[in-house]
Order: sequence, then structure tokens, then C-alpha cells
Amino acid sequence: MMAPLVPHEMLTPELGLVVALVTGILFGFFLERAGFGSPRKLTAIFYLQDFAVLRVMFTAVVVAMAGLLLLGEIGRIDLEMLAIPDTYLWPQALGGLVIGLGFAVGGY
Amino acid sequence: MSPGNPAKEEHAYWSPYVAGLGIGLTLLLTFYIMGHGLGASGAYTQLTAKLLQRVTPDHAQANTFLKDYLGESFWRSWIVIEILGVFLGGLLGALTARRFRFQIERGPHAGRGSRLFLAIGGGIAVGFGSRLALGCTSGQALSGGAVLAVGSWLFTLTFFLGGYLFALLVRREWL
Repeated sequence: MMAPLVPHEMLTPELGLVVALVTGILFGFFLERAGFGSPRKLTAIFYLQDFAVLRVMFTAVVVAMAGLLLLGEIGRIDLEMLAIPDTYLWPQALGGLVIGLGFAVGGY
Repeated sequence: MSPGNPAKEEHAYWSPYVAGLGIGLTLLLTFYIMGHGLGASGAYTQLTAKLLQRVTPDHAQANTFLKDYLGESFWRSWIVIEILGVFLGGLLGALTARRFRFQIERGPHAGRGSRLFLAIGGGIAVGFGSRLALGCTSGQALSGGAVLAVGSWLFTLTFFLGGYLFALLVRREWL
């Protein structure tokens, strides 16, 4: 079975919507378990009191990244077919800055 | 256990590395099946486009940015269903950990009014910034970061820069 499954038509977009619900539930559940339902816990990183945001985020990125590379290496996923965000340096730099502002001020 | 004090509830949260592993595997599964990662802000763009279409269809169609979001129906949009799942998953997590309660969580010196006012202001900034960057902390930092997208890593750096800078201004709100 060649992945990614939906782009390779191993799975229909309709089933993709079921996948959306399931992965969404998992994502929301783990975020809550990490304590990310609390704006005080989320903003504590900016006052150097709690580094959970950094730890959770980078663990997740590294796990997914290593998993993709491994699956690509053993030929189980076609890395060429993965969606990679386009690069727009200034909008992404400015957008990140503005979201950082909103996150610190609004708490999420 | 006093309400709204995360420090006293700390024992109930998972280790950040275990939660991070869970999110990482979820993200990997999403890439494996869909070929793209997880997102969040895109669901709000869907909502904006569909609401505008409901109110003034001509205007929505003429908007060069939003017209791309008018094609598929709202409830068949992948990211809308995913965010519905995130809501359900978060609710499930809070209920099973007995953390669920109605509250306006804020710092010990912050008023309800200022907290809500800043929440709206912060929300507007996050909404605007995520359209500017074509993604938020989920779509850019997490999903884009995992596929080593250059712009996504730049986004992650400036996100933390912005957070640390502007947090200085609202210190009283949280501590």
C-alpha cells in the first residue's frame, strides 16, 4: 500500500473526512493532556516559567519528521507527494510576529 | 484545588514529551493518509468565506482571496471536520481528567473585562497574522516544521520572538 493514501487514491476523499475527524480528536485530546487548554500555562513560556509549549511542539515536530524520513527511506511513503508550505519569507516572518503578539496578549 | 490555578493541577497533565509524542504520531498518521499535515486557522477562513457568500454572494465571488474557498461545501471541508474533531477531543480530554469547568481563566491580578478585551484583541491579531503567513502554529510551525519548510521555520522563530517581546507589555495580565 503506497502512501500518502488519499493522493494515491488508495482511499477516497470521503474516507479522508472520517480521518479528519479521528486525527482531529486525537490532536485535541493530546493538546488538552499537555495542558494547552489553559492560557496561563500556554503564556508561561514567555515568562520563562514553564517550557511545556516548546517541549511538546518540538517533540511532535521531531517525531513526525523522523517518522516521515524513516517511512520514505524504506519506501513506504512517497515524500515527493507531501504538501510542503510555499515560502513567502516576509509574509511568514511578519505573520509569525503578529501571531506571537496575539498569543501573548490573548493567551491562545 | 482552586479553580484557574494551573500550577496546582500540574500533576494531572501529561509529561510534555509524552503529549508531544502523541501529537507527533497523530501528525505522522495525517501525513501518511492525507499527504498534508494538521491545521487550525484554515477552518476560520472557510467559515469566513461561507458566511460572506451567504450574506453577499457577489462580493464573496469577487474577492480574489476568499473565492478559492467557495468551491467545496462547508461540511465537506477537511480542515473544518478536523477542527470539529479537535473540539471534541479537547472536550473529551478535559472531561476525563475532571478539568472541565466554566471559567474565564486569567492571571491573579487581571480583571474579567481586561482579560476578555485582550482576548478579542489577541484573537484579531492571530486571525490576521495567520492569513498573512498562510497558516498558524498548527499549519506552519507544526506541519510545515515537520517537512522542513523554510518559511515555516522562519515563522516559528518570529512567532517566539513576537511572543517574548509583546509578553513584556502584558506581564500584569498573566503573572
